[in-house]
Amino acid sequence: MSSPRITSSMVHRGVLADLNEIATKVSRTQLKMSSGKEILRPSDDPFGAGRALSLRGELDGLQQYRRNASDAEGWTTATDSALGTIGDIAQRARELLLSGGTGTVAPAERLKVAGEIDQLIEAAKDTGNSNYAGRSLFGGTATGAKPYGPATDTYLGDGGDIVRSIGPGVAVVINARGSEVLGNGADGKLLNTLRDISAHLKGTAPTDDAALRSSDIVAIDRSIDNVLTVRARVGAVTNRVSAADTRLAELEENAHVLLSKTEDADMAATIVDYSMQQSVYQSALRAGAGIVQTSLLDFLR
Amino acid sequence: MPISTFMGLNTSLRGLLTEQRALDVTSHNIANANTEGYSRQEATRRPTDAMGVPAGQIGTGVDVTSYRRIRDSFLDLQFRAQNMQAGYGSARADALEQAEMRLAEPGENGISARLSSFWSSWSDLANTPESGAARAALIEDAQTLVSSINALDDGFETVQTQAAQQLELLTGDGGELEGMARELAGLNGAIADSQRNGAQPNDLLDRRDLLLDKLSQLAQVSVGDNGAGSIRVTLGGAAAPLVDGAAVTWPAPAMPTPGGRIGALMDVASPTGTVATYRNDLAGFAQALTTQVNAVYNPAAGTDFFAYDATTKTLSLNPAITTLSLKAGSGGAAGANDAAIAISELRGKAGTPDDVYGRLVTRIGTEVADARRTTVNATALSESIEDRRQSTSGVSLDEEMTNLIRFQRGYQAAARAMSTTDEMLETIINRMGRVGL
Repeated sequence: MSSPRITSSMVHRGVLADLNEIATKVSRTQLKMSSGKEILRPSDDPFGAGRALSLRGELDGLQQYRRNASDAEGWTTATDSALGTIGDIAQRARELLLSGGTGTVAPAERLKVAGEIDQLIEAAKDTGNSNYAGRSLFGGTATGAKPYGPATDTYLGDGGDIVRSIGPGVAVVINARGSEVLGNGADGKLLNTLRDISAHLKGTAPTDDAALRSSDIVAIDRSIDNVLTVRARVGAVTNRVSAADTRLAELEENAHVLLSKTEDADMAATIVDYSMQQSVYQSALRAGAGIVQTSLLDFLR
Repeated sequence: MPISTFMGLNTSLRGLLTEQRALDVTSHNIANANTEGYSRQEATRRPTDAMGVPAGQIGTGVDVTSYRRIRDSFLDLQFRAQNMQAGYGSARADALEQAEMRLAEPGENGISARLSSFWSSWSDLANTPESGAARAALIEDAQTLVSSINALDDGFETVQTQAAQQLELLTGDGGELEGMARELAGLNGAIADSQRNGAQPNDLLDRRDLLLDKLSQLAQVSVGDNGAGSIRVTLGGAAAPLVDGAAVTWPAPAMPTPGGRIGALMDVASPTGTVATYRNDLAGFAQALTTQVNAVYNPAAGTDFFAYDATTKTLSLNPAITTLSLKAGSGGAAGANDAAIAISELRGKAGTPDDVYGRLVTRIGTEVADARRTTVNATALSESIEDRRQSTSGVSLDEEMTNLIRFQRGYQAAARAMSTTDEMLETIINRMGRVGL
């Protein structure tokens, strides 16, 4: 078979189609360079786009968990410091008990000591009413009100847990309730113990003396121990939250890297592509100009 | 049989006239080199009937027997099949790209970003269940999410409406399709008339083929021959032909397998078509969002959070939800946040709204990419068939210039032959029989 006829319109259409195709590629690469994105629309890479969406969601989720963790850490740190203060108060009360509770102290002195214990009780209740960003630390989920009123030692909060979510399905209880630490004044916890000590110091009966020397010391030790236990628990939560935060930061970093790999353009490769396409485009233009211009007409007289 | 003295003059004259006709055809070709749908023509020549002489036969010159239109109708069929695919693909890609653009994904304004910030707002509320600011932010985010979901559905509906409008412009009364059908019928009549008079209406045939090419972009075309230059044209597998000879059936017979641009637009506009299924998927997403959020929120708060109307495909926030009534947890405690935590945990898990929406995005992306690929492939194929057609039917200016020289030389040579005969006659008429004068 002889070679096909090549007609003028075939040449023209061919040149035009090639130029069009290269120009489309150049403009696409340009868009990639200016936006820095590999995926501008889902159809550029449907699977990649779906993946980018879920990675972005995951990233947002991780950032949110970190925010939650930082809030939880703030809460537990504030709780820890309040528990520290309460612990100090209990220690001071124990010292007062040991120095003022012996039989050698004069009754007037004992009243003074009792007065200081009363002050410590108020201080403990004030600390029990401390808040974090306007929310009561020790009131359970009744965060809007103070857990201890001025007149009574009754615990006014509830038994609810304050929960923060610091990972998918990971919820931690971050609060300590006043009822666990200070008690309600009648349950052998710190307030109850301090009130007893105060009453025994003020009293003159031999039983008071006996109580001051024996059962009160046992009770205050138990209360101190209780405060320490709660504080240790809160400290453990703080550690757990901060460990989770570190891990979340790593995960966030990973998700960033994956997301960037999925949807960001490889700049070096894109720029190389661009200059290559540019030179192809220019040579196509030159070749086209040459082909389109000449015909037999140019060489006939 | 004696031969006329003047026969040579006639033979040369036939040569001159034939070369002249050939030059005319060449001029016609050159004039139409850039005319769309034009097929090059050629004057076919044949020696005229010979004269019997005792020694055998003597030639009497040449004549043009026909003006041939050079075209391969098999390539036309191939071209139209691919052109239909290209028409279908490009109309579909255009419409689906519209739908894809309305997704605005991946980006800050897409639903996935809104949904993400909705979940984050629940988490923020879980951190500060007492805070009015967190409630206000959550309600704001929920409303933004609701309106972007509704806006996307409206956007999909607009894509459908626009496709229906385009379809109406194409196939409605006085539309492109009707115009083409009537022109085809007219050409059919004119071509049949010409052929009845024994003429070969090359340029009319070109126009009819061009019209069929254009029609093939709109829908699947099948052409039947009625004989005597008349054809019948059936569109999209319809039971009856749209054009039969000089008659047009209008409105066009129903097309079961339309194909082409009409097929693509019909699918997009249809209430069961591709875009309709996007809307259904979006509805499924909104429904899943409503059900899953309500399933957590309702037991804690006693009211629903979202409401979804499946008939109007509208999502809405329960109007009873305000910054005051919004609840973060069950029970009355200010710090209760169990519901808020449970709702924020809906983010990103398998089977959750994010998942459903992500699948929709991937699906639209895949279908747009497919449609684009179909278009590119079909266009490339139809281009290559068009190249082959042009190789047969196109005008090559180089060839025509060569012919121009060939026919001009032929004309010159015939003229010279005539002059030579004339000189011979000069001898006979003016010089002979004058001995001694």
